[in-house]
Amino acid sequence: MTIGFSETAAHARKVLPFIGLVLCAALAAPPAGAQEVVFTDQANREVRLPKPADRVVSIVIPVASNLIALDGGTKKLVGMNPTAKSAVTQGILGKIFPEAKDIPSDVTSPSFVPNVEALAAVNPELVVQWGDIGEEKVAPLTNAGLTTMLILYGTEELTQGYMTMAGKAIGQNERLKALIDWRDQVRKDLAAKTASIPEDEKPRALYLQRAITDMAASGTKGNYTEWSMELAGARNAAAELVGTVSINKEQVAAWNPDVIFLNAFEAELDPSWVYKDPILSLTNAAKNHKVYKLPLGGYRWDPPSQESPLSWMWMANLLHPEVFHYDLRAEMKKAYNTLYHYDLADADIDGVLWTAQQGDAANYDQFKVRQE
Amino acid sequence: MSSVSEGLAARDGMPGGSPTWTRTTLVFAAFLALLCVSLLVSLCAGRFGVPVTRALALIWQGLTDPSAPLQAMDERIVLLVRMPRVVLAALAGGGLAVCGAALQGVFRNPLVSPDILGISQGAAFGGALAIMLGIWGFPLIAMVFVAGMAALVLVGFLARVSGRTETVTVILSGLVVSSVFAAVVSLLQFVADPETSLPAIVYWLMGSFSSATWARVLIAAPGLILGAALLWSLRFRLNVLALDEAEAKSLGARTERERWLVFALVAVIVGSQVAVSGIIGWIGIVIPHAARLLVGHDHRRMLPASILLGAAFTTIIDTLARTVTAAEIPLGVITALVGAPIFAVLLRNHYRERTGR
Amino acid sequence: MIGLSEATVRFGARTVVDRLSFSVPVGRSLAILGPNGRGKTTALRAMLGFQHLHAGTRSAPTIVGYVPQVSVNNQRLRAIDIAVMGRAAHLGLFRQPRDEDYAVARAALGRTGAAGYAERPFDRLSGGERQLVLLARALATGSDVLVLDEPAAALDLHNQERLLVLLESLRQERHKAIVFTTHDPNHALAAADDALLMMPDGSALFGPVAETMTPAHLERLYGVPMRTVDLPGPAGILHRAVLPAFAGAPAG
Repeated sequence: MTIGFSETAAHARKVLPFIGLVLCAALAAPPAGAQEVVFTDQANREVRLPKPADRVVSIVIPVASNLIALDGGTKKLVGMNPTAKSAVTQGILGKIFPEAKDIPSDVTSPSFVPNVEALAAVNPELVVQWGDIGEEKVAPLTNAGLTTMLILYGTEELTQGYMTMAGKAIGQNERLKALIDWRDQVRKDLAAKTASIPEDEKPRALYLQRAITDMAASGTKGNYTEWSMELAGARNAAAELVGTVSINKEQVAAWNPDVIFLNAFEAELDPSWVYKDPILSLTNAAKNHKVYKLPLGGYRWDPPSQESPLSWMWMANLLHPEVFHYDLRAEMKKAYNTLYHYDLADADIDGVLWTAQQGDAANYDQFKVRQE
Repeated sequence: MSSVSEGLAARDGMPGGSPTWTRTTLVFAAFLALLCVSLLVSLCAGRFGVPVTRALALIWQGLTDPSAPLQAMDERIVLLVRMPRVVLAALAGGGLAVCGAALQGVFRNPLVSPDILGISQGAAFGGALAIMLGIWGFPLIAMVFVAGMAALVLVGFLARVSGRTETVTVILSGLVVSSVFAAVVSLLQFVADPETSLPAIVYWLMGSFSSATWARVLIAAPGLILGAALLWSLRFRLNVLALDEAEAKSLGARTERERWLVFALVAVIVGSQVAVSGIIGWIGIVIPHAARLLVGHDHRRMLPASILLGAAFTTIIDTLARTVTAAEIPLGVITALVGAPIFAVLLRNHYRERTGR
Repeated sequence: MIGLSEATVRFGARTVVDRLSFSVPVGRSLAILGPNGRGKTTALRAMLGFQHLHAGTRSAPTIVGYVPQVSVNNQRLRAIDIAVMGRAAHLGLFRQPRDEDYAVARAALGRTGAAGYAERPFDRLSGGERQLVLLARALATGSDVLVLDEPAAALDLHNQERLLVLLESLRQERHKAIVFTTHDPNHALAAADDALLMMPDGSALFGPVAETMTPAHLERLYGVPMRTVDLPGPAGILHRAVLPAFAGAPAG
């Protein structure tokens, strides 16, 4: 029995939408297993996610803003460290993403002790924790059945490593690649140029990890800020120290650094603290107005972050203005656009760079808005 | 060492006020010389190299012309960094030592230290809280001092049973108050920002004179000096208070009231010291022992000896803490490392003499 | 003077001292006798003001010259330093002993016969010597009341004699009210005007030595038959002593 064409067409008209739906569903639904994310974390553990995570908690401080940058938004960050939160809300990230202030920070104590109940309440698919602070801070997570990723801190290799893991975990491989490539490119550029600067022309720089509470500085090994300073062409004035330790003013006077970098952690700290001090104000750095507080952008520019290349450029321009001429304002605008889809206003940049507090420091004019 | 003290005892005619050149005077002159030498050496030593002659000249200038403006780095280092620090260390060391001596007498127990009344832990709580709240400078110092005194008041309330306070109850109450404050300090450390507040609290708890300025010396000095001076003037009374309760009372001592006077003076001294330099242990318990081994048990000798020895010892170890390495070594570490062997030697000599071996 | 009036002390359910009354005016000496555990020490402490009274009153001067049985102090002070502590009440809280205070202390040491070892460490002295130093301290307080806690208890015979002779000579001066506790009734006979017998049944007998220190009363006190014995003493004067019946051995 043959069916007439008009009948076939009528039949097809009824069936086609249905077939269309099935086809769409077939195309949209991933093949089973292809979305699984597997990698080895920095404690040599296998981390397995059935699909890229949509809900991530970062107990560690820097990864919170890494995730925001990698994702271009705060959707996937469902919990962070109180110290990370204060950086976000104090800095420009709080302006760009006002909803960040509502992200829970009770999931952990500032010293990385997880609060399992608060964690359960936010139902994370992945938790990021330090791998070198002791099993007792990791066990509560694994015992609760939470997928955990352990990371280590201190070098650019480790930083790229855990940023890569974070990017993979949330399925942002494209953005991740762009971020890593940018870092590598800026680093190579800096390393090439500083290689040709003779040792004795590299200024001796002192980074004060803490200043107001008690003064602390660091030897070079394992300290990211010191490494950044050396990349940008400085010598660590505190190189003889082992680890981060307390120091006194007489020791600073003995080192007599050429440049002093102040940490971005202490909110009340700015260069006037150095200039008002009877001892520190007599150092080479103070006499030449080379006292700089590290900026606070999407994260503080001292520890590793997604904005590290900007930090290196800033340092390099200040340490060797005759060699490095990065247009920092332009670079920042480009980076913030890429990272956060945000148009940085001039006032924003001045806020990040602390222009109000240190605009009159040596070589800082180059960062100011160009007077047309 | 004990034969020194017996020799002193035997050869003294009228103690004090005697015009003859007694052995006691010589021993104390030696202590005083030790202190002066420690002070001078400390002023000349430091990571910023200053030649000894220049340092001495600067010290002279500082003493004779204190209002001269200080322009050069070495002037400022010696007179604005080292001198207040050395002075503060000496005052604090002497103060802590005399507190330990007085408390050991009042409690009739040589194992007592100034920490026993909970004052240090209370003061530490005040400091940790201030650091957490971002309070610095003089408000922090005030909070520490007030917290220390508050701890003592708490101990007083706890120890009060039917209107009286026995020494044993005071010790137990001190333990309770100490523990509570220590636990709260731990809690504060738990919630403190690991980048700024926490290391500050930890370092402060370990004790350090690195933040010494003349301003802080002026703040701590009245409490330290006045408290120590009053304790020193109680030296005869301490002999009486160190007796059995019944004997002391029968000699006219209002034991409870006078004990609390001693506690209050200890709180003033310890509170002032913790306020500017964190918790410093060990000195209050061990220096009085060393003093006893050298000059005997009579508080009229033992107290001034403790003050001088405590001042000298603390000055020396603080100088070591800031000079041996580029990093500041916490005081608690060095006091133990340096003090323990010295004390062991003193004890062994003492033991050998007593047992004749 | 020093004394208790209707004093009662209870430890829990037990009444240790029940409506005890006695007084010792200046110029008289009182010996307190009784077996252990009958409230002798409690009565002494009550007199000194160290024991809370549940009933009754205590009369005593502000400072009492107290001589403890042992002085618990490990301070290794010299005897003169111990003695001068008697001046503490005069000096008050902040003052130091001066020459006149030392003079008083030395005089007190002289009075008790301890001047010879004034400069020696107290804890290197013998028990008897220490007792004399403590007595000197009590004298140095200037109080007109002396209270001694079992002063002869731990002494050998030689030192017992020294002490009793001293107590007797102090009594003869009639300048002080003296109270001492003792186990040995002969001490009371030797150096006291009055005696307080704290009986096992809780009652107390107070009165002049001649009336109270009879063999009958003493037998009631100690639960041991007692005998009076007359002995020729030094200088030919007849001495009366009281001994327990078991003393000595059958003669012959």
